[in-house]
Amino acid sequence: MGSSAEEEEYAAFLEKVKRTIYFDNLSPQVTESVLKTGIDQFATVKSVKFIHIYHEPSDMPLNALVELDSPAKAKEVISVISQRPFMMCGMPRPVRARQAELEMFDDRPKKPGRKIECQWLKPDDPNFKVAQELKQLTLKHTAEATRFMELQLKEEEELHKQQTDKVKQQYGKLKRIESIVADENVKRLARYYNLHHPDD
Amino acid sequence: MTVHDKDENIEFKWGRMKGKGGRNKEVQFYESFTYDGVEYRLFDSVYVYKEGEEEPYIGKLIKIWESPNKPKQVKILWFFRPCEILNFLPTNETRDNELFLASGKGRGLTNVNPLEALVGKCNVICISKDCRNPQPPDEEVQKAEYVFYRVFDVEHCKVSDKLDDQIADFDVKLFLNKLDSLKPVDLKELYIDEKEVTGKGMERNEVVVPPSQNNIQSMTREENGKFVEKLVSRSTEYKSSLGEKPTSNVGLGEACKSNIGFSCRVDDKSMPMVTNGNEDCNASLAKQKSSNEKQLASGDGLKRQLATGYDRSKKISGDKTDLRSKIDEGGKRVAIGGSTRQERVKGNENFTHDTNGLVEDKHDRKTKLDDSKRNLNANRGEGVKRRRFVHDDDDDDDIVETLGLDVNSSKDKKKLRWEKDSSNIEGTHSKRLKLPNEPTKLSHDKLHKESSTKSPNGEKKIDSCEFEVTRRLDTDTNKGLRFKGFTWEEHLKSAHEQGRLVLLQNLDPSLTSQEVKDLVLHAFQEDCMAKIIPATAFSSPLSGQAFVIFRRREAAEEAIRKLKKGCLLMSNGRPLVGSVGSPCFPQKRRKFCGHIVIDQLRMMQREMKDAVSTSHCSKSNNVEYDMALDWCLLQERTAYAWGKLFQRQGDELKKVEAKLKAK
Repeated sequence: MGSSAEEEEYAAFLEKVKRTIYFDNLSPQVTESVLKTGIDQFATVKSVKFIHIYHEPSDMPLNALVELDSPAKAKEVISVISQRPFMMCGMPRPVRARQAELEMFDDRPKKPGRKIECQWLKPDDPNFKVAQELKQLTLKHTAEATRFMELQLKEEEELHKQQTDKVKQQYGKLKRIESIVADENVKRLARYYNLHHPDD
Repeated sequence: MTVHDKDENIEFKWGRMKGKGGRNKEVQFYESFTYDGVEYRLFDSVYVYKEGEEEPYIGKLIKIWESPNKPKQVKILWFFRPCEILNFLPTNETRDNELFLASGKGRGLTNVNPLEALVGKCNVICISKDCRNPQPPDEEVQKAEYVFYRVFDVEHCKVSDKLDDQIADFDVKLFLNKLDSLKPVDLKELYIDEKEVTGKGMERNEVVVPPSQNNIQSMTREENGKFVEKLVSRSTEYKSSLGEKPTSNVGLGEACKSNIGFSCRVDDKSMPMVTNGNEDCNASLAKQKSSNEKQLASGDGLKRQLATGYDRSKKISGDKTDLRSKIDEGGKRVAIGGSTRQERVKGNENFTHDTNGLVEDKHDRKTKLDDSKRNLNANRGEGVKRRRFVHDDDDDDDIVETLGLDVNSSKDKKKLRWEKDSSNIEGTHSKRLKLPNEPTKLSHDKLHKESSTKSPNGEKKIDSCEFEVTRRLDTDTNKGLRFKGFTWEEHLKSAHEQGRLVLLQNLDPSLTSQEVKDLVLHAFQEDCMAKIIPATAFSSPLSGQAFVIFRRREAAEEAIRKLKKGCLLMSNGRPLVGSVGSPCFPQKRRKFCGHIVIDQLRMMQREMKDAVSTSHCSKSNNVEYDMALDWCLLQERTAYAWGKLFQRQGDELKKVEAKLKAK
């Protein structure tokens, strides 16, 4: 079944994967155009596609696949973003970029020449029990993964709270300073203590 | 192709006032108005155009008003076309031009639209035998564009031919035939119209005149000149005399502009011709339009309305019901899911923007099933942006049919209307609907054969009782996110509600959606729609998952049961795990950890919304840099942890799989 058309398609697809970047930790406010203009600063963006996972909890940050025009550019962008925190649509959570992988594309073409085989096992087949075990294991793994995801989200929330508090404190401090300066108290105190006042 | 006049040039004049209302008596209600040369009255049947739809909606005006500083608006009570309520029709016995009046309460009964959404009046006759309905004479029924005698209750989703006393709080008599509306056609005006048209130096004068003489009798009588059936018959008459250049309007009035002519003419021309013809035709149309003020057949008015209607497509309030579709900004057709209603045939080819797209689109219904890559539709039009619909291929026809879409029967209905359809069109259609039965049969046979030679195998290789999952000969179906006009998300939603959604786990991560589909087909002999869940940073590299939507709930449950009890082993030693799929949909307002906004600042920034859509690299001299680094740290840690988790899981799997191979 490895017709040349299929192979071509597959090869083209592989090419595409090489020059696509996978972004995550995107804020829900990031739209296609934002992403595009953001990355345009580094390289020409060919297309942007958001990945919709209908399986995971809906509070997850967005993921997107951004296709550039050459694999070299893609690598460049990835390295730039990894070195310095790049923020989109708000701060301070930076977005994360990495090389896209085959499995991230849900509309990918089939690998030519590949055959899928499957069979229904009979209950008296010795492999049957093992298969059942494997099934159980799979379920266990997915449960673990979900749980882990929840933990991760919790941690993120914690960090977020922490940082918000910090920012608020900072902001409060600065505001206080501002108000003091504004109502001339600083000037008065400076004169009283014979200190140099910045405004003089 | 010229872009037509903008809104300002459309004439508008209020007619009779009806009363005032509103909080401060500032809302003025009206009984009638003249728009673009056509007089509309309350309870008239009208066409409402929505860009992107090939057929306009039909409704009755039940309220007309204007308030200061707000646009003029009308409230419309809808008619349903049979194709829109296929699921609720007791049998498929409907007339070709039958409509159903909406009744009851709830969504889909009425909508408020801006006045500019109207594109013409429609001749709908009520043929109900109800005693309150003045019975129309037979000629009227023949001439009518549409008829109705049944209602569709939007609340209970039922068709009935009993008319309640009130519909939408109006006396039902108001919706039935009016006594004075059953007058004979005013043919004289139409006659004059033709003369004018012919006098404009059209290329087919000789063609135009005979039809008018022959067919005056059969013309419908009203202002917007929908001469559908008549045109068909006419087309046969002068088919032979049609020259190569389809620029002339088969013109009885502007109404019969290009497209009607086209629609008829397409009968004997090949499709490509039509595209060329269209452009010329539009040019000549534009010329005529500008020079012709005649409104009677209102083709011009109609056309202009259509044209401007397209421009104003956004103005149409779209939430008619889950029976109709919405068009979102991205030019995609988004049908409102959540009910079985979403299975509509409307393939959304581009609405033909020539005057009687209204007629044309009936024709287009047939063509719409074709591959959307046809240039035909790309070329048509008057410079207005098209909503293209990306079709999926034959593959989904199977599903489409069993999902309640009566693709073929609606096609047949259209056939009846257009008796003289050419083989050309037929040819192109039939290709589309070819169902790929052969390949699947082959693989089925193979399956049966091989299972008969099945024997418990004690060797390493598990291939003696396998069957191969052959790929169906169709092309890849998963173009983008569309399946027959509905996004995957909508399919998921509706399938989930109906219990048809299954989540398959433990797939090979390199499988594609198409392969999953074939797999399901061969393992369960059930057709389905499948989409793999794309990998993310947090997905296990060991196994993949996919959502599978079966056609029927029982099929889905059966599959899950089979997978639970038995074992479907893949070639790489993985048993498939199936469970009821429960998708999560992104909510409108998601919370996102990590973006901090100072509330006070946010107030000030309300006007500066754009400030949020920036992106930048943070420098190391400010607070946010530190915080960003905190996040980076967190990300790294979690990535590492995930890696560890998957590693451990992989080891566990390997251990158990080793047992498998040993046996």
